[in-house]
Amino acid sequence: MSYRSILGSRGRRVGEDQVLYDLRIRELASEILGRERDELLWNLFQEPLDSVDAAVYRLDVFRDLMNESVYTAVERFVEKVRLALDYLEMEKDAFEPHKLGLHLDAALTYIEALEKFYDEMTSLEVRSQGLRGFMGYIGEIIRGTRFKAMKERALEAKNARDKIRIRVRIVGDKVHVWRFDGGEDLGKIIEKLFARFREGEVKKVRYIPTTSGFSHIHAAILEGAFKLFRDEYETLKRFREEFPKILDEGVVAFAREVRFYLLYLKFMKSLMKRGYAFTIPRFTLDGRIDVRGFYNILLAEKGVAIPNDISTDGSKRIFVVTGMNSGGKTTFATSFGQVVYLAKLGLPVPAERAEIPFFSTIATAYPAREDPRESLSRLEQDIVRAVDILRRADGSTLIIANELFSTTTSDEGYVLSKIFLEEVRKRGSYCVFVTFIPQVASLGFVISMVAQPSREDPTKPSYKILPGPPPSEYMAVRIASKYGLSYKELKAMVK
Amino acid sequence: MIEFDLLKLEPREKIATAEDVRLDLELDKIIGVAASNDKLIAETWLEVLLSKECPKDVTEYRQEAVRDALKNRGSVLRMYQIAREGYEKAYREVFLYRLDDPKFVVNEASSGVSILVDYLEKLLEVVSNTSFTSIAFRSLADSLISNVDKNFIDKAREINSILGFGSSVDFSVEIGVLNSLVNPVLLLPRNEGSIVSRLLSGEKKYTYRLDPRDEAGARILEDLRNWVLAGVATTVLNAFDKLLGFFRELARQLSFYVGAINLSDFLEKAGIPKTYPEINPRKLYFENLYPLSLAISSGRKPVPNSLDLDVDGSFAVIVTGVNKGGKTTFLKSLGQALLLARAGLFVPAERFVIPSTGAVYTHFLREEERTFSYGKFEEEVKRFRTMVEAIKRGDYVLMDESFVSTNHVEASVVAENVVSALLDSGVNVIYITFLQDFLHRFIPKYSGKAVLLVPERLSDGTRTYKLVKGSIQPGYALEVWRKIAGENMNGETA
Repeated sequence: MSYRSILGSRGRRVGEDQVLYDLRIRELASEILGRERDELLWNLFQEPLDSVDAAVYRLDVFRDLMNESVYTAVERFVEKVRLALDYLEMEKDAFEPHKLGLHLDAALTYIEALEKFYDEMTSLEVRSQGLRGFMGYIGEIIRGTRFKAMKERALEAKNARDKIRIRVRIVGDKVHVWRFDGGEDLGKIIEKLFARFREGEVKKVRYIPTTSGFSHIHAAILEGAFKLFRDEYETLKRFREEFPKILDEGVVAFAREVRFYLLYLKFMKSLMKRGYAFTIPRFTLDGRIDVRGFYNILLAEKGVAIPNDISTDGSKRIFVVTGMNSGGKTTFATSFGQVVYLAKLGLPVPAERAEIPFFSTIATAYPAREDPRESLSRLEQDIVRAVDILRRADGSTLIIANELFSTTTSDEGYVLSKIFLEEVRKRGSYCVFVTFIPQVASLGFVISMVAQPSREDPTKPSYKILPGPPPSEYMAVRIASKYGLSYKELKAMVK
Repeated sequence: MIEFDLLKLEPREKIATAEDVRLDLELDKIIGVAASNDKLIAETWLEVLLSKECPKDVTEYRQEAVRDALKNRGSVLRMYQIAREGYEKAYREVFLYRLDDPKFVVNEASSGVSILVDYLEKLLEVVSNTSFTSIAFRSLADSLISNVDKNFIDKAREINSILGFGSSVDFSVEIGVLNSLVNPVLLLPRNEGSIVSRLLSGEKKYTYRLDPRDEAGARILEDLRNWVLAGVATTVLNAFDKLLGFFRELARQLSFYVGAINLSDFLEKAGIPKTYPEINPRKLYFENLYPLSLAISSGRKPVPNSLDLDVDGSFAVIVTGVNKGGKTTFLKSLGQALLLARAGLFVPAERFVIPSTGAVYTHFLREEERTFSYGKFEEEVKRFRTMVEAIKRGDYVLMDESFVSTNHVEASVVAENVVSALLDSGVNVIYITFLQDFLHRFIPKYSGKAVLLVPERLSDGTRTYKLVKGSIQPGYALEVWRKIAGENMNGETA
């Protein structure tokens, strides 16, 4: 039996860097992965999957791992496997007496990890194809004769080592080693003498090693110990000679790959602790979108994310988002884009519920970064981008457009938007279109969504985006009248 | 184990508004006299005076000890001196600024132990030669004598000499994970004679000798030594800390009594009487109670006050009347005496009987609150609320013109609600107020529990600065007006 990757099939690297940038996927990945530097994991975040099946394969693994017991079992297993690998790495450069120990402990760690993990997982209900496959794989290893023999000899070697106790005397430049044969513990004597005084705040003297514990001096003491404990030494030596190779390649690969899941779950939990939801997305086949309580992960980390809903039965696929400035419109669009993107990686998404089509591509059109060397104007760039998107868009494309055509008059902007969106509609593509031109929201074939002011203070945003017609009164006018600058009052003041 | 507790101050918790009480009742003046420039005494006094819990038996326990300390003042002062000197010498001469160098710690801590053992010897001598009578001082003496004897002192000195053992360390060690050396245990060194005999007996030994050019190896040997000493370093350090802690704690507890000796001296010099208070749940009674902080700051013997009040669960003393009549001085003097009394100290009076040893809280007018503003009123109420959160039955609340940051009509309603509620829940209230609505409604309603005091004015109009029982009468509006409006808006035409 050979190992099959716990990641299932790999996706395809995003062709356009722009989408990763606009949806802030790299920032997301860096929040999730933290200080993890494994290139494999970073790459995975840039490789959306091609098929529903591939996504479901991963989501099923997640469903298993969302059981706390399963998660803990896997996490511990991975830690131990990595530890065993570390020991073997250290072994390469160690002194001979240390090599024996490093090798033995790599084996002991690995054996315990594998057995314990297998036991734990067998008692838990694991349903995903990915984890069940891996269980079958390690079951075979554990039942094999080589593993059994290795375990037996490793325990034997450990027992031998545990018997060794020596008395050491350091005097001047000499180190003497004897077999230990009793002696009085000086610390205990002192402790007893001063027990008659009340315990205060107990301080601990820390020993901070300034040299390695695997030095030639340590090796020399070990050598002395081995000379005084000959049989024990032979047993340790034999183990290393008989079992030069310890870890199975498939197990090593699993331990590396499964961290994709573990790190994401760890991240999820940190947000869930603060009251934010995550859900396993479902993929709809009838064009429906129904996402409830989705929010921006990066804001949630600061504790300031406001959840929103977005839904359609699939007959209308274009959402036009208008409303007050700084009202959360862009965040709304970006966050929805992120939900879709994460679902395409086979990851649980930041929402209470998420039913979405399996989009084949996500396209973004955000305000261009100013580049003085660029020969095209902003408006031109917008149009280039829009047309480029339209060329490739089809019924399974999601377009996130943020203030497209905003550098011209609103009449012109309206016209351009209308044309663009009509084209989008023709292709059956989905689009979230953020704009400050309210007329766009009045187009018959779009769903109008509006950023709402706060109820307590209507001059402040609530960051809630709700369906409905765009507001009739502008926020700026309301604030002005609060300071007596409405038409009537101003007129009455000016004599 | 050496056990002593001269203060019974556990739990060491101050009342919630300790800082207000300290300022309002001018405690720093009193503590200044008790401490006479000794910071430790000042700290202890502040803590004892403002401690939250002070049950009757603790008060009596300390009272007995205070009497004992005044009687054996020579020994108490000497013990305090030894404790402080020992502590300070060890503190000065032992450098334990880094706890990551075991060898260094072992050296410093064991020299500290040897300093303190010398002082223990001195202390033992004083204690053995004094006959204390109070439970507090007796049990300190007994515990010391039975735990610290010649044998202990000798052994402690012997260990100090072993720990200065120069360059050789003996230890046992095992082989653990990764074949690292683990569980080092420092052993009592074998004497040389037996090693020789072991060698002769043919015991197997392995010896490694460092190459003279191996500088890295020498560093590692040093490091190994440090590693082995880490365990015993912690032990010696904690032994030293325990000893040091003993001296610190002894000095702290004694400092309270040294303060009492100082305050007693002050009263005697000023010709002010002192009395040990009594506790009687049905009585608030005092005879010639002297305002202590005033005596201290003025250097004169001030006018004392007397009062006799039957207490039924709780009492209210309401004070009103002309300014500069001694109202606030009275309030402070009563608060100070209550604090001294519950702490187990004597009070400056001929006689002093209080119904409980409850905590003392103050809510005094802050000058910035003397203008009407709901913002300020809210702050004032907030402050009151913080105080009330900690209050218990039997406590004392001292209020000086509370609730004047809003108009008196509504302030009276608030005051009436607050004071009635406190009184009915068993809390004692002493309240200086000019709130007429309050006075007229409250005094008749609580005639059984409340007493009204006013500054005494003789028939010729002179003020005596004494307070006497009075009755409610209208006519303070102008005074209130002046108080709030200031002197320039006095309504008179030029």
